[in-house]
Amino acid sequence: MRYIEVLKNRYRLIVKYLGILTIAVGFFLLLPLLFLVFYPSEIDHLNYFLWPALLAISLGLIFWKFGKNNSTDVILSLEEGGIIVLGAWIIAILFSSFPFLLADKLNFTNAIFEAVSGWTTTGLSVINEAETSNLFLLWRSLMQFFGGAGLAVIMLSAIIGPHGLGLYQAEGRSDKLLPHVRRSTKLIMTIYSGYTLAGIVLYWLAGMSLFHAFNHSIAALSTGGFSTKVASIGAWNSISIELITYILMLLGTINFATHYVLLRGDYKTFFKNGEIRILTFLMTFFIPIIAYFSLQGLYESLGQAWRVSIFSVISGLSTTGFSIEVFSNWNDFGILAMVILMLIGGGTGSTAGGIKLYRIYLSFKSLVWNLKSHFQPENIVVKNYIWRGEKKLYIEPGHVREIANYILLYLITYFTGVLIFLTQGYKLQESMFEFASALSTVGLSIGITAPDAPKIILWTEIVGMTLGRLEFFVIFFATVKLIRDLKLIARSN
Amino acid sequence: MYILIVGCGKAGSYLANSLSKKGEEVVVIDKKESAFNNLTSEFTGFTLLGDATEFEILEEAKIEQADVVVATTTNDNVNSMIAQIAKEIFGISKVLARVFAPRREEIYRQMEIDTVCPTTLSVMEFERAIFDS
Repeated sequence: MRYIEVLKNRYRLIVKYLGILTIAVGFFLLLPLLFLVFYPSEIDHLNYFLWPALLAISLGLIFWKFGKNNSTDVILSLEEGGIIVLGAWIIAILFSSFPFLLADKLNFTNAIFEAVSGWTTTGLSVINEAETSNLFLLWRSLMQFFGGAGLAVIMLSAIIGPHGLGLYQAEGRSDKLLPHVRRSTKLIMTIYSGYTLAGIVLYWLAGMSLFHAFNHSIAALSTGGFSTKVASIGAWNSISIELITYILMLLGTINFATHYVLLRGDYKTFFKNGEIRILTFLMTFFIPIIAYFSLQGLYESLGQAWRVSIFSVISGLSTTGFSIEVFSNWNDFGILAMVILMLIGGGTGSTAGGIKLYRIYLSFKSLVWNLKSHFQPENIVVKNYIWRGEKKLYIEPGHVREIANYILLYLITYFTGVLIFLTQGYKLQESMFEFASALSTVGLSIGITAPDAPKIILWTEIVGMTLGRLEFFVIFFATVKLIRDLKLIARSN
Repeated sequence: MYILIVGCGKAGSYLANSLSKKGEEVVVIDKKESAFNNLTSEFTGFTLLGDATEFEILEEAKIEQADVVVATTTNDNVNSMIAQIAKEIFGISKVLARVFAPRREEIYRQMEIDTVCPTTLSVMEFERAIFDS
């Protein structure tokens, strides 16, 4: 059975890559310890991070050793990339929850929840920021930083350079900026880190302390939304800080390829981009109507209503999840508008979640094309295209179908989740809000997510966040391939 | 290096795959969408659908930034035209073209375009194989 041999060989390579990623996770776990220099009083946290880190590094080394492959010529397919991505995420999440468990801060479910919320850049939280030490707050932010960029992608393509596109596409960061994966990834990391640094400086100038500036800049740009304060950005009550947050959130939700166009000063192409157009449209449409129909009665001054409306719309649409006010007193109109915005989500190839602007834009375009075709001559041949990144993309019918399938799958998952929430006795609008927030990796909460929430709710959200971040299909086909191959291997033995 | 390959047939795609795997930035142009199926997952560069004898397409491929332009279509005349455009108009220093008819190689030489002639190469290989045995 040569096929079995080949298969085993390929899995050995997958294990090797997973080993490298596990080692990387181990090093990530050591990062918060660097900040002990600034917070020597938290030296007792050393053990919480050191042991999981050492465990991850040694486990990674074992994997790496086992997987050490004689041939480097193997090219990873998309499915195999999917297995690596899925495996890497599970490993990262498990190890990231260890510090919370070791510190006896959270129980198992809550620790996993917090780690998933961090890595998926959601920002829903079951810990009380006010009672959390600096090191743990930093750890949450760091998870969002790496989760936002795409764990497997940055590690594997930037450092060792995998043979093939499989991974790149599997993690939902598929837009290429340059005609080579490795350089693309480096460029993405440069843009991402550059913006983060700029954000830290801006926040600092606006009056945040460096610690808060660091955490919020990462959380805003990765569209994560973990804050260091219970009241989130609202705790500062400062217009300039909110303004910086708008900018960072919007930057985070824009496709990296589009950033590349913008940074090179090609404004014309930038504004031709469908995602930018629909983003602008959604903001200019929803901000006034939410302010008018939902918030006018809640706040005395019109200015305040607008301020809350602008912030909430950008936070929801960019899937960041910072807030300056609570949502529990909003009327039904505002809640449903926010649910719609959260489900739509941010840009493809950005750090955002949701159905993604691109898919929505293309669905609408295809609707228009379809309607138009009824009024055109019978034999007309039209090549439909949209602008993506910096070039025209001609749209094949198959592509539209894929997108329609995705949206359907997304909505099915969404309503299943909402139904699960309803079984636990939550109100419809609260359930819709909270699960939209989890599935689209937003992180705004209407109050359901709490340390003492029923376990089934937290696990539903965990599944929702993971599915939403990894864009469903990877998980499906990676699991199916894994089961099939394992069956084959088992049968041959 | 930024390498622009025109034609994604058997030779063009093979070259693109191998260069991309080596870590070069590769862009491939072809008229037919299906030609890109020849690319394996080793290829991580860009593909561009269109007629490379048109200026618009070449500009979209950012030919002016290319370090090397390779014309590998199956038509000698198309290859020579693209090679000339790259050389004369865009001033690319290294331009390679595939040419099937050995007689035409001289013309390319005069234009300072490097050529690869599959016909000559296979004839040479045949001769070598015949006399070696």
